[in-house]
Amino acid sequence: MSELIQLGIEDRDGIVVAQVSGELDIAGAPAAGDQIASAVPTSARGLVVDFTELDFIDSSGVAMLFGLARRLSGRRQQLRVVAPDGGPVSRVLDIVEFERAAPVVGDLETALSELD
Amino acid sequence: MDGTAELFDRRIRARSLAYMFAAGAALGLITLAFPHDEMVQDAHLVGLAALAIAIAMVLYSQADRVSEWQLHAALAGGTLILTFANHYTGPTALYPIIYSWAALFAFYFFDLRVAFAQVAFIGVAYGVLLVIDNPPSPIVRWILAVGTPTVAGLLISNLLTRVKDEAGLTATRERALEDSEARTRLILDSAPDAFVAFDGDGVVIRWNDAATRMFGWPAHDAIGRRLRDLIFTDDEKPRHDARRKQLIESQETVMVMTVVTALKRRDGSTFPAEETISRVRVGDDVVISAFVRDTSERERRQQEREALLREQAARAEAERVAQMVRGMQQMVDATLRHQTLRDILPDLIKRVRDVLGAEAAAIFLVDEDSDKLVVAASSVGREGEDVAGAIRFGEAFAGRVAATRRPELLHDPAPEEFADRSLDDLGLRSLIGAPLEARGRLTGVIQAGSASRHLTDEHLGLLRFAADRVALAIDHVRLYEREHRIAETLQRSLLPERLPQLPGLGVAARYRPAAAEAEVGGDWYDVVPIPGGRVGLVMGDVAGKGLAAASMVGRLRSALRAYALEGHDPATAVEQLNRLVWTELEESQMATLIYVILDPAEGSVRWVNAGHMPPLLVLGDRMPHFLEGGRSVPLGVLPFPNFEENSAEVRAGATVVLYTDGLVERAGSHIDEGLAELAEVVRSAPPGPDELCDHLLAAMIPEAGAPDDVALLALQNTVIEERFTIELPTQPEALASMRGLLRRWLRHADGTDQEIAEITTACGEAATNAIEHAGAGGDTPFELDGRLDGREVVIRVRDFGAWRAPREGDQGRGLSLMRALMDTVEVTPSREGTTVLLRRTLNGNQGGEDSG
Repeated sequence: MSELIQLGIEDRDGIVVAQVSGELDIAGAPAAGDQIASAVPTSARGLVVDFTELDFIDSSGVAMLFGLARRLSGRRQQLRVVAPDGGPVSRVLDIVEFERAAPVVGDLETALSELD
Repeated sequence: MDGTAELFDRRIRARSLAYMFAAGAALGLITLAFPHDEMVQDAHLVGLAALAIAIAMVLYSQADRVSEWQLHAALAGGTLILTFANHYTGPTALYPIIYSWAALFAFYFFDLRVAFAQVAFIGVAYGVLLVIDNPPSPIVRWILAVGTPTVAGLLISNLLTRVKDEAGLTATRERALEDSEARTRLILDSAPDAFVAFDGDGVVIRWNDAATRMFGWPAHDAIGRRLRDLIFTDDEKPRHDARRKQLIESQETVMVMTVVTALKRRDGSTFPAEETISRVRVGDDVVISAFVRDTSERERRQQEREALLREQAARAEAERVAQMVRGMQQMVDATLRHQTLRDILPDLIKRVRDVLGAEAAAIFLVDEDSDKLVVAASSVGREGEDVAGAIRFGEAFAGRVAATRRPELLHDPAPEEFADRSLDDLGLRSLIGAPLEARGRLTGVIQAGSASRHLTDEHLGLLRFAADRVALAIDHVRLYEREHRIAETLQRSLLPERLPQLPGLGVAARYRPAAAEAEVGGDWYDVVPIPGGRVGLVMGDVAGKGLAAASMVGRLRSALRAYALEGHDPATAVEQLNRLVWTELEESQMATLIYVILDPAEGSVRWVNAGHMPPLLVLGDRMPHFLEGGRSVPLGVLPFPNFEENSAEVRAGATVVLYTDGLVERAGSHIDEGLAELAEVVRSAPPGPDELCDHLLAAMIPEAGAPDDVALLALQNTVIEERFTIELPTQPEALASMRGLLRRWLRHADGTDQEIAEITTACGEAATNAIEHAGAGGDTPFELDGRLDGREVVIRVRDFGAWRAPREGDQGRGLSLMRALMDTVEVTPSREGTTVLLRRTLNGNQGGEDSG
């Protein structure tokens, strides 16, 4: 995985929270996606990908998100993406209409409460 | 005959007996002189006393002649006289006591048999007396009851003492005798010298262990054979016979002679020996014994001493030319530092020629792969031209010296003796050659030739002298080359293999290992791109050398990379490094380090300096200044030091220089002088980090190399023009640095944060395409070209790979992103590659989101 990406994964009462910080591009996105996917057990109720600390995302990062969404919907698990409103990440997610795949919310608490 | 006879001779016993008789008679007569019982028959007693005195007189006068049985008879006679005296006196207390004396006397002076016989006789006589004088008086019975056990006890104790004494005496004597023999045997057997004894006929009777070792004949083989057949060579036999004759015929009781001779071992080999022979005459028998010493060791030592003396003489002779040779030695010493074989050999050749006054000289080295000699240096100047080709061992003069490993002198050599045919033209009259050997291995051959005169053994000696030193020099240089190579490889493996691509920043680094050190030093540096476009620079120096230092460098480096990538500020990162050194590494370890984070967009640096040299900030031709402050103790000194950060402005065009103390430390001068020199040198340096580094090394490091390792790192915050073109590698890792450059450039162009983010994202998509077009393993770089056209940003991304139509999904998404984020997007595929042209006007308000 690229050195520019840091990944923190934790389990909160059956919900896996993956915090991604740094810059997500083709150098790090595929590996980060694999790592997040493998951290979600079938028993988990859902996944929150937290981009609060992410400075940059490009189409590879978006592709990673779509891949996760596909995977989770097959297992009937829920996905929420956290991206602060007005930030560069939410701007990119808007453009690619990621909302069609999974909801994008402004902060982690909202995401967790929606999944509860 | 027995023990007693030996203790007291007959004469002493006879006289003692005589005193006994006389004393007894005197006692009897004295008792008669006093008033006494009437029943005592005085006349008879006087007669007995007279008889006793008569016997005493005879015994005394005939003491010399009296025989053993006469003594016994006298003893018995004494008992009879006593018995009669007792009878004529009547029972009194005295007599049993007197009998006891008689018995004691017998036991004292006579052997046991006689003593017992005497006791028995006394018993019989007294018994008879008791019967005649019946009934015995109560006094007699009382005396018998008390006296008899007393006498018996005395007799028995006396008896036991004697038996014990005699037995002890015998055992002691026997043991002493045995001990003495065993000792003698042991002494003889353990003697370092061979001991051989033989009788008058020359037959061996003693043969010790050393003799067995020396001659190879075991004792049981040697004893009983004639000595002359065993150990004498045929030449020595007549001399041995003559000596034996002389020894036997000599009339002296003891005779000793020492001879030096050659003796023969069982296997027929001979050795020099020294014999010390003594002859003892025992009655008519003659015993000849000889100590033999093998003197070959002594002779060898003697020869060595002589050789040593000769050598010393030769050495004195050699010192005659020491002046010349010393020059060569100095040069050899120089090679012990850091020259390569190629550098030193021609020098060595020249020295050898000068020393010998020879017209030609050459050094051949053993090619270890083929076991042949190759010309490594030649005074004819043909080295490297392979004039001679490889010489097989045993072939030509040099090959022969290599094969025999012996120095050789050859007069009027035939042409085929020259490995190098061009030597033939010189008309050499003599050739000398010596093997080059270091640590028991042949490394080559040194050869010299003279045309003007015949060379002599003296020249050969000098050449050997030179060969020793040349071989030593070659060995040292080879060792040095190898060890230094290993050390450098290890050191370099700890430094970044290549510096990261940092568009918009110029970075250069140099590492110079110390001149005379074979060991790895602890200097290190690293350049770490940090998410968000910042760059971390680190320069450190771990105390000590070798593997311990190297492994610590490895750990510090990977730890710092991790902390840097997590985006920690310098103080936090260095604090964590200090914890690592303090808690995990060895107590004695200490490290200095400076960690600088450069934010190119902001044009600033922040740093923490843990006991390291201060960084130098260079801007154009202005006087450079050291970034002081932010200083603290080195790592590993305190558990929780206070690491304070400092910051400074680094404008576009400015350069930060990090270095280790090896660059500025000079023996004998203060560190401030080195720092001042550094500032002065930097001031006159050409722009550009690479040029700066080269300039610094050239100016600051002496030609022979620095005394300590030197590491140097320069990072320039380059000026970004309104128009720029860079090439970037088609690697995913290049994207981050490209974004860093674009952000700086766009900030320079007064773009808003959102504009900057969006344009950067769009460019990233174009660049990602370029990287994907290059395919796996593509190494053709792509080109990024930016310009400002008024307020319009025009960016062109050009690759030289194969065009791939955007697939539905990921790649298509990239294109739609670009379109959404930029005003216009033109994609022009061609056979040479693909060009993407992106345009967007900066207006400071809203981006072109609705123009997609």
